[in-house]
Amino acid sequence: MSDQIKDLNPAKECRAMGKSIKRREDARFVQGRGTYVDDIELPKMLHMAIVHSPYAHALIKGIDTAEALKVPGVKAIITAKDLAGFNLDWIPTLAGDKQMVLATDRVMYQYQEVAAVFAETRAQAVDAAQLVEVDYEPLEVVADPFKAREDKVILRTDREKKTNHIFNWNVGDREATDKALAEAEVRVKQKAYYPRVHASPLEPCAIVADMNTATGRLTLYLTSQAPHAHRTVVSLVTGIPESNIRIVSPDIGGGFGNKVPVYPGYVCAAAGTIVLGVPVKWVATRTESMTTDSFARDFHMEAEIGATKEGKVTALKVTTVADHGAFDAAADPSKYPAGLFSICTGSYDFPTAFTEVDAYYTNKTPGGVAYRCSFRVTEASYMIERAMDTAARELNMDPAEFRFKNFIQKEQFPYNSPLGWTYDSGDYETTFKVALEKVGYEELRKEQAEKRAKGEIMGIGISTFTEIVGAGPSKDFDILGIKMFDGAEIRIHPTGSVIVRAGTKSQGQGHETTWAQIVAEELGLDVDKILVEEGDTDTAPYGLGTYASRSTPTAGGALALGARRIREKAKRIAAHLLEVSADDIEWEDYKFQIKGVPSKSVTTQDCAFAAYTNPAPGDEPGLETTYYYDPPNLTFPHGAYICVVDIDKSTGEVKVRRFVAIDDCGTIINPMIVEGQVHGGLAEGFAMAFMQEIVYDEEGNHLNTNYTDYLIPTAYEVPKFETGNTVTPSPHHPIGAKGVGESPTVGSPAAYVNAVIDALSPYGVSEIDMPISREKVFSKLRAAGVEAF
Amino acid sequence: MKLNYDGQEQINADYDAVWAFINNPEKVAKCLPDVEKLEITGDKSFTAHVKVGVGPVRGRFKFDVGLEPDAENNKMNVNLRGGGLGTAIDLTAGANIAQQQEQTQLDWQGEAVVRGPAATVGARVLDRKARELITHVFAEVKRNIDEEQA
Repeated sequence: MSDQIKDLNPAKECRAMGKSIKRREDARFVQGRGTYVDDIELPKMLHMAIVHSPYAHALIKGIDTAEALKVPGVKAIITAKDLAGFNLDWIPTLAGDKQMVLATDRVMYQYQEVAAVFAETRAQAVDAAQLVEVDYEPLEVVADPFKAREDKVILRTDREKKTNHIFNWNVGDREATDKALAEAEVRVKQKAYYPRVHASPLEPCAIVADMNTATGRLTLYLTSQAPHAHRTVVSLVTGIPESNIRIVSPDIGGGFGNKVPVYPGYVCAAAGTIVLGVPVKWVATRTESMTTDSFARDFHMEAEIGATKEGKVTALKVTTVADHGAFDAAADPSKYPAGLFSICTGSYDFPTAFTEVDAYYTNKTPGGVAYRCSFRVTEASYMIERAMDTAARELNMDPAEFRFKNFIQKEQFPYNSPLGWTYDSGDYETTFKVALEKVGYEELRKEQAEKRAKGEIMGIGISTFTEIVGAGPSKDFDILGIKMFDGAEIRIHPTGSVIVRAGTKSQGQGHETTWAQIVAEELGLDVDKILVEEGDTDTAPYGLGTYASRSTPTAGGALALGARRIREKAKRIAAHLLEVSADDIEWEDYKFQIKGVPSKSVTTQDCAFAAYTNPAPGDEPGLETTYYYDPPNLTFPHGAYICVVDIDKSTGEVKVRRFVAIDDCGTIINPMIVEGQVHGGLAEGFAMAFMQEIVYDEEGNHLNTNYTDYLIPTAYEVPKFETGNTVTPSPHHPIGAKGVGESPTVGSPAAYVNAVIDALSPYGVSEIDMPISREKVFSKLRAAGVEAF
Repeated sequence: MKLNYDGQEQINADYDAVWAFINNPEKVAKCLPDVEKLEITGDKSFTAHVKVGVGPVRGRFKFDVGLEPDAENNKMNVNLRGGGLGTAIDLTAGANIAQQQEQTQLDWQGEAVVRGPAATVGARVLDRKARELITHVFAEVKRNIDEEQA
């Protein structure tokens, strides 16, 4: 029993929601008893290594595997030609494009997969991969989307349309927005580049593929955030019936959106086991992870805000050039090629708005995953929060005052945004006031004025963001045609313990604890008697997986409603046990009691025993259900973040002195887990703001392929966070929850950057792109004539 | 990443001796450092298997080298393409040869394009290492010709 609940009396013991119950999964993680894909060893298993292209763009004139095949232990080497025999040389992407599995006649980006080697040991496979000789003829490289836009070199010669332009996606009223901007008393433009970054889960992508040639059954142990979706994709691509495919997603060492796509390594391992008839393991190296996993962001954005002189916003226009790399493999719902970027009006009541995104192919790794982000929401939030600060500066207003003037008001919810969303609920003013008070905003501004008078550099950055998560309602949301509902199964055993299974898949989110809390709360059961299982497609109900902060809004709803369905049946059993009509039974204090007679009651556990030993006459025995929940709307968590920085004018070093984060994610299931999620997300936001960017040179060389060059913040770099919550429940979610996993990553980068710009604004600095290195700040200060000493 | 280098060698030999040396693939190949295996593939080309160690990139590289003499302009052009361990290197170098009294001056310049893991190492160690290697090659050309003349 968890420490937090064992001392409570039995009646309260059941009250599970809102409790900081320790994460039940952590016991096995901290004791090294988790099972990850790399822990899986099967008899006769081979290991796979991949040959990657050093060229970003080149024709392949020939591939010589003769020397590699001589390496002891090597069993086979496959190239695109071999895959073509199985129609697996190209696979569909989530975005409706197609991508090569192994390079066919050409390579399109550096480190692209060219051949796969299968050997008895990993070392043999790696040695042999280095001996595969590939004859390349270099082609001109286009590593910049603005250069790609010129269409001088067409990259995708396989496509009918001879252009590097992938799509233009726009939403809103262009004409009305242009008119409102033209008529605006004040017009403010803001450019911002959100750099290409990597989700960087510590566990790289991995697979053990096992085709049982006797039964024809293909089992894939896979680092998958969406096992069911992957099973369907594997079936569609290979033609193997879905019933003959089992995907097991065991413990996962972080996902962050990175483990949603289907990667060439997975396909090659599956092809290997099908052809060779023995299991095949592939675990990506760190360099493979950094260079071939789907990237995130890479949005070149420009916003224009129109406003009155008094500071009331009148219009917003945002245009974006998106770099999608060599194939359009962005992971977005089908109807939304630029994800939910149209949340870019944020927390503000813009009467009119328009946004468009143009995406281009380049000779870079494909991707566009929703890295701790509900599909491009991170980019949208960053853009609007940066632009709001710039507009406040132009208007000579305090950025807090400017935000208060323009917030969507509490009574406006449900709020219809000019870009088509219906925000479910929110109370932006209250959350912001809590944050301002906690940080001591007015005192900080006074301190800043005093410091400025002394030539010291201090900044305060604000981000009052709105998220859009929980994809989503089936009327609008699908991936490859599969609607984005989610399922949960609840089985209550005769003795009252429970097994819960869901179509989601935790990668650190703590579902084994929070899912149990929801069911325990709904049924008055003990959390510790509820086992949660996810990730095995043979046993879990269908679901689209865990990413985009969707688990609680979707599966969380399925669990609550499934539990309520069970409660309805248990009520009939209770009536049978108490020898009254079901109409005379009420659910009170986590028990079924005869209305108004608390002494005549039974528990769910009593009903469970009866369901197997003394079922209600005419009722089906047993006590279990499977529930598929199709949410009626998305949820809209929000937050108010305030960052305080001090800048060393000699070195350009930015020190984050304070960071206050007040989140409103609706009903909270487990405050400790929410706080943990917020801390993790703020650390990742810090990383992007100050440390991270995937850098390519003009030749398409990927210049930071490991954690020596691509930086991950440690406890030393990460500042102290002061967190808190307000609670505005979602009116449409069964338990009022909204999801929180991504809010801190979405909301925090703008707060960090706004703080730095606020600090540097007296020196005429209005632009600085992430990652904000010391060098960038140092150069800005020297350019502004600030003396180092 | 692109790397550019240049340098100069004063060789104690006349123009003809230098010209003859740099037109001989076997002699030129011996100026490369750490050659483990050499295949003369033509009268102006060879393949060299070379031991390489640049930061974490350590192992054997294979280079195809072509000599392209331009007698009219007293110039030798060299093209090198190859690599290993996932790294690709394309190098074009040119050397202008001019007799100066009793010595011959070799003015060389080279541009290397490096792709793959070695390019990632680039910013820190590759530039220095590549300069060291190319300087070594031309210094070896001088040393070998000087020795022949001695």
